[in-house]
Amino acid sequence: MNIWSNLRHDRIGMLSLVTVIAVIVIGICAPIIAPHDPLTVNMSLRYNGSTWSYWLGNDQLGRCILSRLIYGIRPSILLVLWILLISIGIGTALGFIAGYFKSKVDAWIMRICDIMLSFPGYVMTLAIVGILGVGLENIVIAFILTKWAWFARVIRTSVMQYTELDYIRFAKASGISNWHIIRRHVVPVTFADLTVIASSSIGSMILQISGFSFLGLGIQAPHAEWGMMLNEAREVMFTRPEMMLAPGIAIIIMVSAFNFLADALQVALDPRLHQSASTYTSSKKWQVRI
Amino acid sequence: MFITTFKSITILMVLTVILTACNPAKDQPNNQAETATKNITYATAKDINDMNPHLYAGSMPAQGIVYESLVENTAEGIKPLLAESWDVSPDGKTYTFHLRKDVKFHDGEPFNAEAVKQNIEAVQRNSEKHAWIKLSTKIKACRVVDEYTVELVLAEPYYPTLAELSMTRPYVFISPKDFKNGETKDGVNGYHGTGPYVLADHQPEQYATFKANPNYWNGTPTIPMITAKVLPAGETTYLALQKGEVNFAFTDDRGADSVDVEAVEQLIASGKYQRVQSESMNTKMIVANTSRQASPVHEQAVREALWYVVDRETISKDIMGGTEAPAYTLFSKNVNDADIPLQERAYDPQKAASLLDSAGWVSTEGTGSRSKNGKPLTMKLDYDSNSSSQKIEAELIQSAAAAIGMKLELTGEESTSIANRRSTGEYDLLFNQTWGLAYDPQSTIAGFTSQNAYLYATQGIPEAPKLYKTIDQIMTTTNEQTRQQLFTDVLTIVHDEAVFIPITNGNITVVAPSDLKGITFKQTQYELPFEQMSFEK
Repeated sequence: MNIWSNLRHDRIGMLSLVTVIAVIVIGICAPIIAPHDPLTVNMSLRYNGSTWSYWLGNDQLGRCILSRLIYGIRPSILLVLWILLISIGIGTALGFIAGYFKSKVDAWIMRICDIMLSFPGYVMTLAIVGILGVGLENIVIAFILTKWAWFARVIRTSVMQYTELDYIRFAKASGISNWHIIRRHVVPVTFADLTVIASSSIGSMILQISGFSFLGLGIQAPHAEWGMMLNEAREVMFTRPEMMLAPGIAIIIMVSAFNFLADALQVALDPRLHQSASTYTSSKKWQVRI
Repeated sequence: MFITTFKSITILMVLTVILTACNPAKDQPNNQAETATKNITYATAKDINDMNPHLYAGSMPAQGIVYESLVENTAEGIKPLLAESWDVSPDGKTYTFHLRKDVKFHDGEPFNAEAVKQNIEAVQRNSEKHAWIKLSTKIKACRVVDEYTVELVLAEPYYPTLAELSMTRPYVFISPKDFKNGETKDGVNGYHGTGPYVLADHQPEQYATFKANPNYWNGTPTIPMITAKVLPAGETTYLALQKGEVNFAFTDDRGADSVDVEAVEQLIASGKYQRVQSESMNTKMIVANTSRQASPVHEQAVREALWYVVDRETISKDIMGGTEAPAYTLFSKNVNDADIPLQERAYDPQKAASLLDSAGWVSTEGTGSRSKNGKPLTMKLDYDSNSSSQKIEAELIQSAAAAIGMKLELTGEESTSIANRRSTGEYDLLFNQTWGLAYDPQSTIAGFTSQNAYLYATQGIPEAPKLYKTIDQIMTTTNEQTRQQLFTDVLTIVHDEAVFIPITNGNITVVAPSDLKGITFKQTQYELPFEQMSFEK
C-alpha cells in the first residue's frame, strides 16, 4: 500500500498537508520570518490598521499583529504537537503492553484508563491547573495526564485485533521473542491507526489549548498565543471587531487543515475506504472527540 | 403526492415552532425597556453576596443603600445621619450621640440607643476581623444614656473616630431581631437596615432587587426599584446596556471598569446614555512587597527604578482615554493633610537604568537582563484579570522595564486571589488602589500596620519601626499642626522608599440613562447615593 501515491491524488488532503508543513516551518523559523519583534510596544501605533510595514495592523499596545501571529504558532501548534507526541508515546507503550500481554496487566492498565476517562477532559484539566497553578507548563502536564488514556485504549483495541491473527500466533509458536514480534509484526500494522487518531485529535487539542489561554490559564503575557490574542480582542469586540479576525481565522485554518489531513490520511491508509471514496469520504473510522 | 403533502406539513410545523419561539423573545426586551425607564438596573461583575454589614463579603454599593451609619462623611466634613448631633468630651475620649427619633428598621423595629449598643458590641466581639479599622481597638464601652442618647467611650483620644464611624462597614446598624444568638459574626437571619432601600429579593449569582423604603426618615426615594444584575464580562454588560436589559453601570469597588472606554463612547453617541464622572477618588498604584528578602523588590533602588519606568502620561492618555489623570504621589493634593512637597519622579528610563547601575545590578552581556551576585533582576507582578485596563498597563510597564533589563513576570488573577496575596505577603508587586477620599489618608495609612492591608508592603524598609511609631502617634494626636507634621513624615518615608508606585488617579465613572438626574457622588468610591437620583419627567 503506497500512502504517498494515494494521498497525492487527494487535492484537499495535499492542500492541508502543505498548509500544515508551511505553518510548522514558519513557526520554527519565527525569528527569521517575523517582520518585527512581537514584544516591542509602540503606543503611538495602538490599534492601527494594516500598513506596508505592519500587514495585519497593530494591537492594543501597538505590537505587530502579524509577528505575534507567527510567534503564536509556537505555543498554539508546535507545543500541541509535542504534547501529542508525548501522550501518544505513553498511550502507545501502555496500549501495546495491555493489548499484547492481556490478562492481569491489561486489566490493571484498562482500569486506570477507565478512571482517567471517567472525568470530563476540561474539568480534569481545570482541576490540575487549580492545584499546580496557572501557566503553560502546567497546562502541558494537565493535557498529557488527561490525553494518554484515550490513546492507550484505542491502541490496545487495535493491537488486540492483530494479535489474534494467524501469523502472530505462528510467530509466537515458533518461539520468537515478544519484543521482536511487537516490533516486526504488530507496530507496522497498527501504525496506520495511530496516524489517524493522532492527526484527528490534534484539531481538538489546538482548540482546547487556545481555549485555556483564552481563559487566561495558559500562556502568560506578554508572550503571544492565538487564544490569548482572541481574548485580548474580545475586550474591544464591539468597538474594533476586526481585531478578532487574524487569530480567529488562523485557528480556523489550522484546525480545518489538520482535520482534512486526518480524513485524507485515513482514506490513503485504508484501501477499502479509498475505493468507495466517492460515496463514503465523510465516514470516519475513528471519530475522535476527547 | 403523499410525500409532498407530508413534506409541506412538516415544513409548516417547523416554521410554526420557530415563529412561536421567536415571538415572546421579541416582546421581552420591549417590556424590559419600558420598566427600565422607571427603575434602575445596574450591572455588577460580582454577586451582592452576604449582605451582613458586620462582615466583609458583601457588595459595598448594595450595603450602602440598605444600611446607614451614625454620621456621614461629606466634602464639607462630618455631617449628621442617624445621629442628629454629637458632643465630644474635652479629653477626647467620650463621644455622646443624640439619635434621630423617627427612624425604624425595615422590619419595623425602632432604631434607638439600645440597637446602637447591641450593634457596636456585636462588632467589637469580632474585633480580629476589624483590625484594619483602628477604632475597633480603641472602643472601651458603649453605654445607653436614655432611649435616644448613646455614649461611646474610647481608651484614648482617637482623631479619626467620626470618619471611621461614617464608613460603609462595619459600624452600621442592622435590626437586633436579625441577630443570631445575639451575634452577627456567624451570620444573620435577615438584612434589615435603616437605609433608603430594602432588600426585596436575592437570587445568588443572578440578581438582587431593592425596593424604595416607604418609611425612610428622609423621605421615600424617587426611584421605586433598584436591581443589581450579575454580568461578569464587560462585553455582556455593553450588550445589556444597548438592549436595555440593564441601564446603569459604574466603577465597582475594586476600581475596575468592565466596559471599555471606547465602548462607553459608543453608548453615549447613541443618545440613550450619559457618562458622569466623579472627581478623583483614589490612586491606582503598584504595591511593592518590601518584606520579600529573597526578591529584588526588597531593594529601594529597584523599586525607585520601577517608579521611573512607569509611563503615566501614556497610560492616562492612551489606555484610559484621558479619563484618569496621571498620579505622581500616593495621595493626590486634594486629599486632606496630603498636600506636601514630594519629589516628582516622571517617566525616565535612563534615570532608572543609572539607578540600577549604581546599585550594582549590572547587565549581563548578550541577554540584556540585569543581575547582581548571580541573582537575576526578575519580579512577579499580579493584576486583576477582570479589569480591562490593568493587563494593558502591566504589559506596557513590563516592556518599558524589559528595555532597561528588568524582567517582570505577569500573572492575571481573580480579585479575591489578589486580596489574599496582599494579606499573606505572597507577592512581589501587585496592582491596588488607595481606599478613597473618606479613607485617605488616615485609614490607608493605618492600613500600613495592618496585616490584611499593607503590613507586608511596608515592614521591609529600614525605617519601618519609626514609621509604625509615627502612625500610632498620628491617630492619637489631637493637635492639628503636629498631626500635619507627622503625616508629612510618614508620606515622605514611603515616597522616598518607593513602596507605593502611583499610576493614575482613579474615579467613579457612571454610565446612566440620559434622562436620569441627580447623579452625585459620596466621599467614598464604595457607595453611590441612589436615593438622590430621579428620572426626568
